[in-house]
Amino acid sequence: MKKALSFISALALLATATACGGTKDSSNQGTDAGTSKSESKKDDGGKSDGKQTINLWSFTDEVPKMVDKYKSLHPEFADKYDVKVTIVPTTDGAYQPALDKALTGGGADAPDMYCAEAAFVLKYTQGEMSSYAAPYKDLGIDVDNEIKAADIAQYTVDIGSNNGNVVGLGYQATGGAFIYRRSVAKAAFGSDDPKVVEEKIGAGSNSWDKFFECAEELKGKGYGIVSGDGDIWHAVENSSDTGWVVDGKLNIDPKREAFLDLSKKLKDNGYHNDTEDWQDAWFADMKGEGAKEVLGFFGPAWLINYTLSQNCGSWKETGEKDADGNAIKELDTSIGTYGDWAVCQPPIGFFWGGTWVLANKDSKVKEGVGEIIDWITLNCTQDGLQYMWANGTFDPANPTKDCVASGTVLGMSDGKVDFLGGQNMFDAFVAGNKLANGKNLTPYDETINQKWRGQVRQYTAGNKSREDALKDFKQEVADELDIH
Amino acid sequence: MKTKLKGISYSKYGYLFSIPFVVAFLIFTLYPTIYTAILGFTNCRGVNNTEFQFLEHPLENYKLILQNDSFRVSLKNTVMIWIMNFIPQITIALLLTAWFTSHSNEIKGKGFFKVVFYMPNIITAATVAILFHSLFNYPIGPVNDILTSSGLRDESYYFFTSKTASRLIVVFIQFWTWYGNTMIVLISGVLGISPDIYEAAEIDGANGVQTFFRITIPNIKTVLLYTLVTSLVGGLNMFDIPFLFLKGGPDRATLTTSVFIYNQAFSGSYLYNRASAASMLMWIIIAALSGVLFFIMRDKEQIQMDKEIKRAKKEAKRASKGGVNQWQW
Repeated sequence: MKKALSFISALALLATATACGGTKDSSNQGTDAGTSKSESKKDDGGKSDGKQTINLWSFTDEVPKMVDKYKSLHPEFADKYDVKVTIVPTTDGAYQPALDKALTGGGADAPDMYCAEAAFVLKYTQGEMSSYAAPYKDLGIDVDNEIKAADIAQYTVDIGSNNGNVVGLGYQATGGAFIYRRSVAKAAFGSDDPKVVEEKIGAGSNSWDKFFECAEELKGKGYGIVSGDGDIWHAVENSSDTGWVVDGKLNIDPKREAFLDLSKKLKDNGYHNDTEDWQDAWFADMKGEGAKEVLGFFGPAWLINYTLSQNCGSWKETGEKDADGNAIKELDTSIGTYGDWAVCQPPIGFFWGGTWVLANKDSKVKEGVGEIIDWITLNCTQDGLQYMWANGTFDPANPTKDCVASGTVLGMSDGKVDFLGGQNMFDAFVAGNKLANGKNLTPYDETINQKWRGQVRQYTAGNKSREDALKDFKQEVADELDIH
Repeated sequence: MKTKLKGISYSKYGYLFSIPFVVAFLIFTLYPTIYTAILGFTNCRGVNNTEFQFLEHPLENYKLILQNDSFRVSLKNTVMIWIMNFIPQITIALLLTAWFTSHSNEIKGKGFFKVVFYMPNIITAATVAILFHSLFNYPIGPVNDILTSSGLRDESYYFFTSKTASRLIVVFIQFWTWYGNTMIVLISGVLGISPDIYEAAEIDGANGVQTFFRITIPNIKTVLLYTLVTSLVGGLNMFDIPFLFLKGGPDRATLTTSVFIYNQAFSGSYLYNRASAASMLMWIIIAALSGVLFFIMRDKEQIQMDKEIKRAKKEAKRASKGGVNQWQW
């Protein structure tokens, strides 16, 4: 009895000794963030009954849900393959280190199929990790013909190509539009018709001049034109001719440098509410609860479905909870801004975000992965994912319609959404998709953008001069990324 | 050291029980440290870093790091933030210790207060960072609401673009998180002092202040040294709050050395060799500063006594060897 007790206590000591080997204050090591936040779902059935396993890595449950749907629609696929899902959210930058380790580690647990977001997709298609990506044609997909047939937006193909081979494609098209409040437009311009608003903001003019004239007009009536400078940043960023790094050197495109002045102009003249995107005050402006009401936001279709829709203030909690313990909300159009929105073309075309799906070059289940990827990214028939995605029939419980990568599917689909007061949103977004530029990105964009926005914020807040902001930006990038 | 007890020696159990810790230490602490030190002399960078060579000028990475402007800024920030956080922390902790262990005034509900003061330490750093970020949010946030509605300011203050404000918030968070812990440690040190001394002092007519400075503090010197050293090591390694709160702050205001090292290694260019060099530099700095602290707080009387004992032993040895010591008459 005593021996057993002492043995168990020795094991317990070993466990605690290995678990807390750190020092007093430093308990948060960035590299371990991946393991503490990931969840692995094993499909029931296991690997034992002759099925092959497909390892899928993602940062949201979007693609895993798509794979589940595919399995339910194609039982013969479900009989042949098991899908093991690993989801690591991108908060605090936890997804990339975890995915990198899994890819470099190799072996049976290496991802067969993985997702990459627009913020870092280049690293996996053209950059450091691109050696792990399999060309789509090796998966048995007739890439060139299918892309033509599906009329995939060019920027998606550009980003997903490496040396002429397509290694990744997205299922969404995230071309941006100007999403505005109907009530504000009516009060300020007398009409909420998209054509009128397009004329006012200078849609398609490729310049901000008319936009600022409109801002002045709105200011006279007590409205802001956008919520914060972050709203116009994505349009500025994506419309520049060159990226942040050219020939290994830091390059500040003149159009991006102009953002310093644009942001200062917005702040000095009080054209916006000086919010920071993704902070509480920015969400408050979506409900119309900011300091002054704001005309609109720049964004792709997902901004409508996932951000504006959730934060429009029209959802009331019913007090009940669903199966997962989340509060059930019901729509109450008398409060908030639901139905008070519309879209029109922006002054400058851009794209923002999106998810690309890639396959592992060393995967043993290339056929299965190829099937799924083809169904998600290139299938432009009514059985394909994109048709369901565009028409809101993918998930009966959540009938959101999204802008998909295939122009063919968009042409076949009905984009009328209640949130936009019944407007067909595909018209404005298709135009945006065409204008988006996929050639001015670098793998370092996430970090460099963060530094750039920080310096611009210092300049607009009046804490430093324009030259100092540029100088400090160059210094920070050189110090941290060794790009001079 | 063998303890003979009726012929049974228990010393082997001591070794047996130390084995788990030693194994864990070797694998998880010693090996990574040595590997990091080696990486500091190579050209290892990039995600796929299996092959790397040693540089012709081995100390090149160290030179680059010392010349790196952001590293200098981060070192200054780290020391500044630690000092600004530590002084109030130790002051308040000592004050609370004095009150909670006072023999003349018994405070009711001491246990409750100790729990409440320690609670901030239990909250995870991520939660605290989000909490304070929401509190000081601009343009709409609780603190800004108070400032504008009470009339102290006309419009909201953008805390997150002000370098001073951001630093002060980080300092406050660190202070708020750790003062409870310091207080608990100091109280445990004070409890080890025999109450007879306090009684004797009270009889001699010493008041509270005199008791504290002449009896309590000298007797908890070792505990104070422990607090100082652990706070120094933790403070110079500060990572979680600066990183999660503002990712190194507006314009590098809250960039600490650990955040700098993390950014070097993981923010896009994967400069593992430079990050390793920076880590080893910090290791040297912290070890040196700890050594200085140990030297300052050394127990001079104990060292004096040890010297005397050593000298006496030497004399005895020489005398027992026989013969007259030619140097002594």
